[in-house]
Amino acid sequence: MAPNQHVLLSPAELAYLHEALSLTPPIRPDGRAPTQFRPLVAETEILPGTNGSARICFADGTEAIVGVKAEVERTRGYHGDDEEEGGEEKREQEREGQDEWVELTVEIPGYREDDASTAFLAAMLSEALLADGGFAKKLWINRRFHWKLFLDIILISPPLSYPLPLLSLTTHLALLSTRLPRLKSEGDEDPFFDDDWAAAPYLYPQGTATTRPPITLLVMAVGRNIIFDPTKEELAVADVVLAVSVGEAATDASSTKGKGKAPGRSLRLLSVRTVDPPSRVTPPGVPNATNSAYGIAASAQKQPEARTVEAQAVEGVWRAPRGGAKPAVMAALVQKVLERGGVADEVLDALDAVELG
Amino acid sequence: MPREAEPSLNERQFILQALQENLRLDGREFDQYRPLELTFGDQYGVADVTLGKTRVLAKASAEVTVPYVDRPLDGIFNIATELSPMASPAFEVGRPTETEVLLSRLLEKTVRRSGALDTESLCLVAGQKVWSVRVDVHVLSHDGNLIDAACLAVVAALRHFRKPDTSMESGILTVYTPAEREPVALSWLHSPFCVTWSYFGDEGEIALLDATWREEQVRVGSCTISLNRHGEICQIAKLGGTPVEAVTLLQCTNTALTKVKEFSSFLDKKLAEDIKRRDKGGLMAELSAENDR
Amino acid sequence: MPLDTSAYSLALLRVDGRRWNELRRIHAQIRTQAAADGSSYLEMGHTKVMCVVTGPSEPGPRRGTAGAGAAGASKAVAEVAVSVVVAGFSSVDRKKRGRNDKRNLELQSTIANALAASLHTHLFPHSVIQVSLHVLSQDGSLLAALINAATLACVDAGIPMTDYVVACTAGSTSTYAAGDESADPLLDLNHQEEQELPGLTVATLGESDRVAVLVCESRVQVGRLEGMLAVGVDGCKQVREILDRVVRDKGKRMVLEGTVAKGEGLEDMDLD
Repeated sequence: MAPNQHVLLSPAELAYLHEALSLTPPIRPDGRAPTQFRPLVAETEILPGTNGSARICFADGTEAIVGVKAEVERTRGYHGDDEEEGGEEKREQEREGQDEWVELTVEIPGYREDDASTAFLAAMLSEALLADGGFAKKLWINRRFHWKLFLDIILISPPLSYPLPLLSLTTHLALLSTRLPRLKSEGDEDPFFDDDWAAAPYLYPQGTATTRPPITLLVMAVGRNIIFDPTKEELAVADVVLAVSVGEAATDASSTKGKGKAPGRSLRLLSVRTVDPPSRVTPPGVPNATNSAYGIAASAQKQPEARTVEAQAVEGVWRAPRGGAKPAVMAALVQKVLERGGVADEVLDALDAVELG
Repeated sequence: MPREAEPSLNERQFILQALQENLRLDGREFDQYRPLELTFGDQYGVADVTLGKTRVLAKASAEVTVPYVDRPLDGIFNIATELSPMASPAFEVGRPTETEVLLSRLLEKTVRRSGALDTESLCLVAGQKVWSVRVDVHVLSHDGNLIDAACLAVVAALRHFRKPDTSMESGILTVYTPAEREPVALSWLHSPFCVTWSYFGDEGEIALLDATWREEQVRVGSCTISLNRHGEICQIAKLGGTPVEAVTLLQCTNTALTKVKEFSSFLDKKLAEDIKRRDKGGLMAELSAENDR
Repeated sequence: MPLDTSAYSLALLRVDGRRWNELRRIHAQIRTQAAADGSSYLEMGHTKVMCVVTGPSEPGPRRGTAGAGAAGASKAVAEVAVSVVVAGFSSVDRKKRGRNDKRNLELQSTIANALAASLHTHLFPHSVIQVSLHVLSQDGSLLAALINAATLACVDAGIPMTDYVVACTAGSTSTYAAGDESADPLLDLNHQEEQELPGLTVATLGESDRVAVLVCESRVQVGRLEGMLAVGVDGCKQVREILDRVVRDKGKRMVLEGTVAKGEGLEDMDLD
């Protein structure tokens, strides 16, 4: 499932695909526009035994389920002595979360849980989630107790394509549907909760002026074209692949001044990771000039020439991309994701439309 | 990964053909065990079981530790199995094979989960100090039917074992050496034994007890039944394999019960012999004024 | 929470209101996943499992704990590799069970060996049938649900087999271990009953009385085995009916939708 999966395409097919995707506008094998996503099926609150759950099926048949479970845990490092000095306002300030209150695990069938690629996926997902620092704060109950949140992310299908966006979107939905029982106790006493599940508030309160869990999108560039939601085959010819995590910026600051602002949300970049594109390990094509099968002068040429082929590009012959990405391309990729009314915005809108419950 | 040599087609055919004619390679009856031997070591809690060419050694030991947080009143009881390359080239150190996992699960279900050892009696100070009893199972030679031999060895070792005597006085726990006070036996509730059936034939219609290693390689399925002599089933495990008629399984269970009763009296006899051996001369020897000089 | 078994003898109703020989609701679907060779989703009461089958295919590089090979060494038949992932959120208290947990390995090897006996693995030499099972929610009878789901997914994958391998659990009222003649057998235990009462899991081959898997993990009088086994085997027949219905309904729908052509010899298939 590491992005370097075996893609069974010949060098000729790779060259053709690369060329088609480099055109302006690019022509994708399935006829989509560069920013267009494939259809997906999503549902939430599928498991009554969890605090929140979601399932998403992508068009390529990959499917993931995320379950969220919360448990009350005693906060470490609290000593009951400084009770007197703390006033009400001080208590509010102490409402701080710790990153270790969230535990995120990823299960990929056929991979060990300590496999490097699984651990990398889990790290990327939790990094985006905790990036704004506000998430763990939601888990605070009182100075002595907090919620410990367990996110179990399971890929149901065999890992056909790089599952990061799928897992991220499913986690997003699961968190949106997560509810924690309503607190009935006050202050720092041992917490007890309302057992009426219908009264339980959402972890991300429903409504407009709130933040939402982050999403991570996979974006790739071929030449100067930026392509969203790449398929496995498209990834095989990518020059650069980025995993970009975005979150919605808190709107309380902007709502004061920006009444007449442009539609769409203000997005915040949470993290960017480059993903090693599988194109790097694809086999190169051999130009006719040096192909001994064509028999012309080629049979006379020996090894030294064969090696020079690697260095020089021949039109229409596939050569795996070498070297890193240009900063300008990277910037353009990130910019494209963050655009107001752009792709990330669209995805968030679409996920909004998924009914809870 | 090293692998066991497979029986050749001819060998396979020969064994099966013979079984169809009600013959086993070593001339035993279908429900007959190989000669069973059990010896105890000089130390308490060491049992050596030999079943034909299969030989298993179990050693019980105990130490004082802190109990698990969620079970403050219970002692700790563990069975550790290790199949070393000594028993068969297919076993590697540090990488449990399927055989090893299934063996240790079976022993755990048979002896531990059935409550053969009263773990509450191992508690010394609630929540602070308990006995931790551990049995190490070593397979010295593998010629089939490891499970039955290992189970017998574990039960024998535990029943033979004596843990140091202790006393509590004004909050101070004293553990006595064997010289100070005679060690005490574990609080033992019942003795479960495993009986493993092996099935042969397309429909699993031929059932054998105590299969040798060769026979195990040719069998189409197996079923391990654990019972004690009071007729209580402690565990049954037929983990897949060719389906067998339900009625056959019931008959197997009943035969297993008679075997278990035999094992049980065999073990009782051996334990009694061992006590007699240790107690040479008994009280009279101790009282005698004569010395060896 | 002790189970009040005295209530049973009064009304002959169990904690969830079932009678002694009643199964919980079984809901099953096949072909739940487009990309897989075979897939299924199965609910037995609140126990929910999903299964995805890949193959028979060429064995890839061995990685991770692919599961228990039934065929193992010999290449003449396909290897059935099973992996079971128990989701952390599946039980009431979140519990992480490692993939190398011995109980998990035992489950995997049991399912692999049970399937291998029914699948015609000799038709696919040098190949692997990868069965991955996911446990989403647990409420007793886990092994039975896993076996049923795996069978359905293998049907969906079109792997030839002798018959369905179907499983269910059976138990016995009253925990009293000694000979209690009045103890009734029970069918299909839920989690609470599984904790309190002796029980066993039975898997049979289709409608026959032939038992592929028999697992009993609790202490019980030998005399009660017969009753429990009989009820279990009978339950398996009921489960087979239900699973067969699921497969037939799906097949019918696929023919009606034109996804597949009606096979030869099926002209008299009822399509209404």
